[in-house]
Amino acid sequence: MDITLRVNGTTRSGSPEARKTLADFLRDDLNLTGTHLGCEHGVCGACTVIVDGRAVRSCLMLAVQAAGSEVTTIEGLATDAGLGPVQQAMWDSHSFQCGFCTPGFVMQATAFLRAHPDADEQEVREALSGNICRCTGYQSIIDGVLLAAKRNIER
Amino acid sequence: MAEILAERYTGASIRRSEDPRILTGAGRYVDDIKLPGMLHAAFVRSPLAHGRVLSVDVSAARELPGVVAVITGAELEAMTVPGPDALMALMSWAGPTPQFSLLATDKVRFAGDPVAVVVAESRYLAEDGCELVEVEYDELPPVTNASFALDPSSPPLFENLGDNIARPHSRSEFGDVAATFAGADQVTDVHIDVHRHQNVPMEGRGCVASYDADRDLMTVYAATQSVHVTKIAIAMRLGMEPEKVRVLAGDIGGSFGLKIGASREELAVAAASRAVGRPVKWVEDRGENLTASGQAREESFDVRAAFSDDGDLLGLDVKMVIDTGSYPGMGAMVPGTVEAMFPGPYKLAAFGFESTAVTTNKACYVAYRGPWASETFVRERVLDLIAKDLGLDPIEVRLRNAAPRTDPPAAMITGRPLVGVTTRESLERLAQIVDVPAFRRRQAEARVRGRYLGIGVATFIEAAPGPRSPGGPSGPLGTESMRLRLEEDGIVALFTGQMPHGQSHQTTLAQIAADEFGVPFDQVRVVVGDSDVVPFGLTGGSRSATMTGGVALHGARQLKAKVLDVASHLMEASAQDLLISDGQVFVRGDPASAMPVGEVARQAATGQAGAGVDTNLEVNASYDGGEGGWSGGTHCAIVDVDAETGLVRVERYVAVEDCGALINPAVVEGQIRGGIAQGIGAVLLERSAYDQDGNCQSATFMDYLVPTACDVPRIEIEHLETVPTDADVNFRGVGEGGMIVAPPTLVNAIEDALSPFGVRIHEQHLPPSRILELIEAADPGQ
Repeated sequence: MDITLRVNGTTRSGSPEARKTLADFLRDDLNLTGTHLGCEHGVCGACTVIVDGRAVRSCLMLAVQAAGSEVTTIEGLATDAGLGPVQQAMWDSHSFQCGFCTPGFVMQATAFLRAHPDADEQEVREALSGNICRCTGYQSIIDGVLLAAKRNIER
Repeated sequence: MAEILAERYTGASIRRSEDPRILTGAGRYVDDIKLPGMLHAAFVRSPLAHGRVLSVDVSAARELPGVVAVITGAELEAMTVPGPDALMALMSWAGPTPQFSLLATDKVRFAGDPVAVVVAESRYLAEDGCELVEVEYDELPPVTNASFALDPSSPPLFENLGDNIARPHSRSEFGDVAATFAGADQVTDVHIDVHRHQNVPMEGRGCVASYDADRDLMTVYAATQSVHVTKIAIAMRLGMEPEKVRVLAGDIGGSFGLKIGASREELAVAAASRAVGRPVKWVEDRGENLTASGQAREESFDVRAAFSDDGDLLGLDVKMVIDTGSYPGMGAMVPGTVEAMFPGPYKLAAFGFESTAVTTNKACYVAYRGPWASETFVRERVLDLIAKDLGLDPIEVRLRNAAPRTDPPAAMITGRPLVGVTTRESLERLAQIVDVPAFRRRQAEARVRGRYLGIGVATFIEAAPGPRSPGGPSGPLGTESMRLRLEEDGIVALFTGQMPHGQSHQTTLAQIAADEFGVPFDQVRVVVGDSDVVPFGLTGGSRSATMTGGVALHGARQLKAKVLDVASHLMEASAQDLLISDGQVFVRGDPASAMPVGEVARQAATGQAGAGVDTNLEVNASYDGGEGGWSGGTHCAIVDVDAETGLVRVERYVAVEDCGALINPAVVEGQIRGGIAQGIGAVLLERSAYDQDGNCQSATFMDYLVPTACDVPRIEIEHLETVPTDADVNFRGVGEGGMIVAPPTLVNAIEDALSPFGVRIHEQHLPPSRILELIEAADPGQ
């Protein structure tokens, strides 16, 4: 099925099979391999992308369902000026280790902070509790999100 | 420019050089590899735990458009070379050696055993093809637990063994076991179980194999802890000369012991690529990861402990049985390490240890973060049970039994010297951080209100790398090699066989080399992941801090001496009068003399240093670990157990750790916290569960629960750096400690919380349902 959508600010077209997930479409057809697949059943959150402003699991959404949507992936956060604010805060906080869950956490945190810029630690933990990291014990990730929030408020 | 030494990177929480790529989606994991003409593999897997394969009909699958090949077990055997498990061969295993095929031929041995591989134009089509493969089985009685496996009437998984014994029963004694037990004030018997759980890296196993028939070269892009071990494993089973196999690895999404060598599936994929003449990718899905990648632990212990009325632990006599699952892996080798490590940091007059390993119809045993960790769990559990019987404080009973730090150091009764072990210091520091009397008051008040708080403490030591063995010629963990080269652009390149998969080696090794050589941090490049380029090595066993940190330091020192020798000719000064700082060579006291190190390399390459000067600015360094040493420490958990629901909340967690000198504190603390999180998961959530027919009951993340951000508390970490053992290299590993000691810490805390009910805990897995059962079954009179 032919679809057109905007991905990271650019109009993209493709002809995915009806059964192809958005995650596989992004990775295979658009070569945006930053979106990772950790479980393919909607639990781990590694494949989280932002579709029309909301964080969604791209393993549970079909590519054809994203037709006409505005999609942001991990590749769309940094600018010529450098890392995006969540990315920068996570770098400064030593948030990650192996990096496989990273795109999902960054996208989830980005969407969450837009809606809840002054979230406290417990709210951040709950907001990220649908994303699994196996390396860090989460504290460094939480600290990164809180740092991004703090910098945003101070800005 | 002032002639000052650059600030030291070592010891600072330098931001990771890995992060800019992983934070932007520019990491390159194995599933991101795309090669021209690449095909995709999927496996047909057994639905039965144990059965004979009567027939495999692949004709319909072969006819499906998009399917390029379907290879059965028998066909694959004809394409490959039989042999033992590569890891067991590398570790010189001399015990029972099961004969098995890469894909099942005559028998399936666990639910998920691969039977055939379908290779197609896409993963979707490969999975469609799997649906069309018809396999006929004759079901055999499943051997799903160790007690049945020990029964001589159980059907053997491997006919060539004749029984289900993977490691025959053996017994060792240290000290006079009989006399110690006969003379003790008290002897107690406990049975302790450790349940089956598993690594669960966020990225599963996977590879892309690409065979070049014209050159007879096999290139495999792998997710592995060692490109060289994977290369050896592939060469062995594909019947190729090792130099015809190249293994490449990029970013790796975690492993925790899982990704060593090459799995049966990965070997099948490599053979398939050779058969079809095109690149083939296989990346397992989460279902495959949970059911077929491998699992760990599932050990049981019968422990007899002898102790005095005052709380002196005098002797332990331990019988261990380990359920190693189906195919050979590391399981049969684990009891040896458990035996060696069992005494931990404690004095013991006598120790008896016997063990047996069995095969069962479950996924095979793989290494998981501290594979011998059950010795710490059992020992620390037994100490608490003794303390409880005697009415002693758990910190006090540990201080009483920990070997004092003496010169020469005391040795574990099993042999290894406890050089630099700071168990006592960590216990004393913990007692300062956690006000136990204040907690006891709070605990008593909470109980009145029906809230059950508990405190638990446990101590561990981790051979990371461990001490140099007395009189032994080699170091504690063999030797580690590194090639170092000064490039003409001034980059100091480190070629290491370490294969980082979250450990941050590209940062930490650069910190050490930058300091030692005298260049800025970003002027060091750490090269990993190409078996044609890097020396032999393996990331595992918490070896890299000491071993690779050490070789980076000594290698940088050797390279610097070479560069200074060349510079002395270029700058017409004695090498003793030269120093390198901030990437420049100076004549001491003459800042104007500065020459960038890259310029030294360029002038050397163009022969300007003169004849007879060794201008090859490259060294092959090796390091044997020096005097080595232990990591270790004491952890403490405070938990709140809801006696109505069985839910456990970890209210506070404190880790006092001694890993010697810290290379990068943020990296060290990340390793510790991550290990503790896995330990929390092991106790409260995670279990690789099988039903009585051998069906895996934990095949999704809705059944196999791993901790989330709401399950892991903020973890407080205090570092001790007590005892240097070496003039330069006092970094010690921390990869495994958190996972080793968090389970007994938590279980000790939970038992303490439930003490009003008289609960005694003899197991590790304590989900809410089990907590409620324990409360229900307890005898409050105890």
